[in-house]
Amino acid sequence: MNVRSLIFFVFFIPLPVVPSPAADFDFFEKKIRPVLIESCYECHSVDGGKAKGGLLLDTAEGMKKGGDNGPAVVPGKPDNSLLLAAMAHEQPDLEMPPKQERLSATILSDFRKWIADGAPDPRTGPSGKLSDAPTDIDSGRKFWAFVPPVPAAPPDIVPAPATDVDRFIRKELAEAGLSSSPPATPATLLRRIHFDLTGLPPDRRDRKRFQLAVNRAGLDAALEIRVDELLSRPSYGEKWGRHWLDVARFAESSGKESNFTYPEAWRYRDYVIDAFNADIPFDRFVIEQLAGDLLPAKQDSERARLLIATGYLAVGPVSLNEMNREQFLADVADEQINASTQGFMAITVACARCHDHKFDPISMRDYYALAGIFRSTKTHIGTAVGPDNQIGGELIHLPRAAGLPTFYQATTPDAVLKLKQQKSDLIAEKEAAIARAEKARQEGRDPTGEYSLQMAIGHIWKVGAIDGKLALVNEKGEPNVMCMGALDRSDVRDLPVYERGELGQPGEEKVPRGFPEVIDLAGSPVISGGQSGRLQYAQWLTHPDHPLTARVIVNRVWKHLFRTGLVRTTDNFGYNGERPSHPKLLDYLALRLVNEHGWSLKKLIRELVLTDTYRQSSDYRESAFLEDPENRLLWRMAKRRLDAEEIRDAMLAVSRDLNSTRPLASLIGRTGNRNAALSHFAKDIPPDLDGSTHRSVYLPVLRDKLPDVLELFDFAESSLVTGHRETTNVPMQALYFMNSGFVEARAESLAMLIRKGDNDDLVSAAFRVCLGRLPSSEERKVGEEFFRQVESTPDKPDSLKRYCQALLSTAQFRNLD
Amino acid sequence: MTPNHLSKPQSRRAVLKSLSSGFGYLAFAGLSTFEAFGKARSSSSVRAPHFPARAKRVIFLCMKGGPSHVDTFDYKPELQKRNGEAWRGSAAKLLASSQEFRQHGESGLRISSLFPRLAADHADDLCLINSMHTDLPNHPQAYAQLHTGSFQFVRPSLGAWSLYGLGSVNSNLPGFVTLNPPSDMGGANNYGSAFLPAAYQGAKIGGGQLPAIFSALSGKTEEPGPPMKNISNDRISQQMQRAQIDLITSLDRKQLARDIYHPEIEGAIESFELAYRMQDEIPDVLDLNREPDSIRKLYGTDRQGDSGRFARQCLLARRFAEAGVRFIEVTAPTSWDHHSLLNDNLQNCGAVTDQPVAALLTDLKNRGLLQDTLVIWTGEFGRTPYAQGLGDGRDHNNKGFSLWMAGGGVRGGYRHGSTDDFGYKAIENPVHIHDLHATILHLLGLDHERLTYNYAGRDFRLTDIYGNVVKDIIA
Repeated sequence: MNVRSLIFFVFFIPLPVVPSPAADFDFFEKKIRPVLIESCYECHSVDGGKAKGGLLLDTAEGMKKGGDNGPAVVPGKPDNSLLLAAMAHEQPDLEMPPKQERLSATILSDFRKWIADGAPDPRTGPSGKLSDAPTDIDSGRKFWAFVPPVPAAPPDIVPAPATDVDRFIRKELAEAGLSSSPPATPATLLRRIHFDLTGLPPDRRDRKRFQLAVNRAGLDAALEIRVDELLSRPSYGEKWGRHWLDVARFAESSGKESNFTYPEAWRYRDYVIDAFNADIPFDRFVIEQLAGDLLPAKQDSERARLLIATGYLAVGPVSLNEMNREQFLADVADEQINASTQGFMAITVACARCHDHKFDPISMRDYYALAGIFRSTKTHIGTAVGPDNQIGGELIHLPRAAGLPTFYQATTPDAVLKLKQQKSDLIAEKEAAIARAEKARQEGRDPTGEYSLQMAIGHIWKVGAIDGKLALVNEKGEPNVMCMGALDRSDVRDLPVYERGELGQPGEEKVPRGFPEVIDLAGSPVISGGQSGRLQYAQWLTHPDHPLTARVIVNRVWKHLFRTGLVRTTDNFGYNGERPSHPKLLDYLALRLVNEHGWSLKKLIRELVLTDTYRQSSDYRESAFLEDPENRLLWRMAKRRLDAEEIRDAMLAVSRDLNSTRPLASLIGRTGNRNAALSHFAKDIPPDLDGSTHRSVYLPVLRDKLPDVLELFDFAESSLVTGHRETTNVPMQALYFMNSGFVEARAESLAMLIRKGDNDDLVSAAFRVCLGRLPSSEERKVGEEFFRQVESTPDKPDSLKRYCQALLSTAQFRNLD
Repeated sequence: MTPNHLSKPQSRRAVLKSLSSGFGYLAFAGLSTFEAFGKARSSSSVRAPHFPARAKRVIFLCMKGGPSHVDTFDYKPELQKRNGEAWRGSAAKLLASSQEFRQHGESGLRISSLFPRLAADHADDLCLINSMHTDLPNHPQAYAQLHTGSFQFVRPSLGAWSLYGLGSVNSNLPGFVTLNPPSDMGGANNYGSAFLPAAYQGAKIGGGQLPAIFSALSGKTEEPGPPMKNISNDRISQQMQRAQIDLITSLDRKQLARDIYHPEIEGAIESFELAYRMQDEIPDVLDLNREPDSIRKLYGTDRQGDSGRFARQCLLARRFAEAGVRFIEVTAPTSWDHHSLLNDNLQNCGAVTDQPVAALLTDLKNRGLLQDTLVIWTGEFGRTPYAQGLGDGRDHNNKGFSLWMAGGGVRGGYRHGSTDDFGYKAIENPVHIHDLHATILHLLGLDHERLTYNYAGRDFRLTDIYGNVVKDIIA
């Protein structure tokens, strides 16, 4: 600071400013405010989340009050206004905006004039206050989510509950003067564990065997046995794998502007289901998905499995019509950073692409350290190049010896040669046409007769089609076995920080590839020269002392079993997320997952469903409700609506239409690469995108184009990391039950089933088959009333079917107590 | 506007009492206190706006492809004079408009000869904004930004936000419908609800429009299928279905009596009744034969090809508006993406859209609906003042374009902002898409800064951190 301004800051006493007429604000609005917004607010406004040098420029008061160096603007005195001095770059240590060319002379003279005129400023009101968000490393390391889990002894509770988890819950309840609910009935509990663990209702045999086991060994033992059995059923992986697919933003098309299908995405889906069924430890699961290609494999089948795992990085939404290759690659890396940081750590690092994170201690350097890792990775998406797809890109070839299925037609070596010939003919043809068009143009004739836009498009199309066919087979005409995924690039590199995230604005210095600085782990893996760093990123994430990874997955599991996470914002543990309702319990479970369960999710799930807390009744209790209406303290088990897949699967299950085998690939895998906008015209794709009786996890998942049942019942938005699905209630759902062919077909099967059973009492028989229990006397009455009411309808012969359809449509069918 | 949380035990108790009386839901459906009980709220209740609304509903006429503003609503005498001159030292040449821009109405707004009916009948109803701009000159991104405010992320659409803010007036109909939206350009995202509850997403009426390139090759313009999924069922008699609804409702009520408090079941009871009524109402609204000949003629619904299709869309829009739908989007069946053969293409687009649009405004006015219906005519961006290709087309231009609004509290016969002498860039009072969104919400009585939804721990807005209401255009 020079002497002149020092004297000024010490002695200046602001003069009262005459209130300015509204017309004066015009100048401010046109000339001043836009510059402030554009050039200053990022570091000096409440919205920008920063007050560098203690200075806020977003109110008149803030300007006059100034920052650490004193007032920024002195109305009427441009020469005494530090703001102007800084903008004019008068002092080398105070040049604003920083690290940029000085703002134009016009702007400077506008500011001078404005200050000279008394700095009329309509932005009245008190200067705002910055949030206390922990955006720097020091305060960040004190924020709960970045503090490593602390071991906590389960509290003493008398009388002792079944498990240590219950002790934590009981303690909080007791402190609030609340108590747990009594246990749910065995039938309710059975239905609950079947849906929660496998996504399917218990069938008649399941119910009978359970009853026998309870009679023989008691409820506790019977329950334990059943939980173990359910965890070993393949349907467990189909249910819990789907939970992960929500987090992995899995879909079978690119989404965005030109929505191309991903015919090989299903392999990753099956990998996830198998991984859950095999109970691959969660730390290993993380590493496989991020860096399976970099892990050793003894057998071809294991090599194939690990390559397919990296499909995690490739199934995200991408802009296939992006013409700028570099931009495309930067966007893919950005998407991978977003998916992996939010999915594994529940923090939003991708915010730091353009500016330091406004609420969490994540800097742009952190972002570009991670971006270097993914920019050094080649993502294999594999879609057909066409006029609306600039990208394409080949898939990863899987070892043939792994014996995996493929759907591509085998052909002959001759046919391959012929295709290649066709392609070169087409290219020659095009070149000739262009030459003729050029000649016509020179001779002043209309060139479009020789070569028109339509012909150009047609050409791209035809060549694209041949390329597409050639990609599916090898030289011998044998079908290729391929998957989506990621491999390291040969040109591994660090990236600079790009100002405002713009590729045209690289900073001078490169940021070494690495991980967010706020999480500092002893013995953190080091990325060496020739590697992308994906493996080290995965190892860093699964480091036993990592403060987030274990907590986040424990919380996800808790959410699916108790309907609400201990941290309700399952995908945001940062400052803007919520704080845990039971922090000690969360830490206890996270440490236990790592140290006792060896990252086994099955063990964690088993532990949680055997708690008294999970086994509680979900009945309403007014006194507790008034105290804790949101049930944050778990005074009862929360009710939930079944999710989309469960609703469809339950209808298939009770009507015995369910084909519980795994279908080969998926509809998208079997019908090949195409633009999803055209799926309605494909003869091999049914209009409701369903048409199968396999479990719903195997339904096609096209971005922006879902099978009806998924779209209607709140399926995850597959372009976002989704740890929690909303539950909505709309008339379209009712219309689906009333009028869709799918529900009608199930009702038809149910009616046949009941008739075959030779039942006298149709009302009860249908109730038992559809809802798994006999009707109460009142329910029987309304059922009988229905049959009387439809006695005179023209479609009376359908009445049993229509009765079953109504039972499938009841709220109890799709809700869980 | 975040859901109200109950603060006093008394009110909770009062609500509960009422709920357990059996008629609870119906009695409380309109009260926002009910929302606090769960996310399972329905879209079918009216909610109070933040301040008095000027418009109660929106008809959004989407001119996809990017209409050339310098040939439609932005008269540029300088451009006319300097036809063929080099554009700012580049190889591109300025291209004067072939359209005539006469002044119309008392306001003297200049409207090109492409829209004779609109100009003659409605010049004084139009509020032109000549200073629009958007971030990118690519169709899909600009289209997404126009519809959701963002081209980077999947975000709720303008219609979904509007419905979220205001609720629906007619519970027998969806509150937000979109007629023949394009199946590309981001597809369902343009009328989706993203992280807002699904109740706020647009209901697609009619098949999606195919990408131009595919329809050129296949000769088909729309996806096949019924106008709306699951809306009718000819395999069941009405009596049978009524008996089913009675059975379902009765079983659900018994369940509710056992559970006492269960928003999901309350909602289910309501939605089956709604759905049952919707089955009658939607086909009624869709049935244009219920309109007198004079109205059908006014719109031109019997004309051939795109003209007739667009006329039917516009008439349907009015019928939905009248029936109480909050937000109606109509995507014109023509593409305004005129990279070549500019004049032929413009003539065609004008011929297809002029009469139906003019008829829509006339019809709304005659019914007294225009005053609280905000009609918006816009594309995703404009076009360059210079030629491209063989010299008979214009390229995309995001830096400056025009749109108009009418009715719903905007100043008629008014022109806001301007582009430079050639129509290249918005210079005076520029209006960004975020500003447009803020203004539309404002006209609906919603403060764009207060209309928020908490998702993943953050309060989201349609306008993100941007947007200023364009006060000058409000009547």
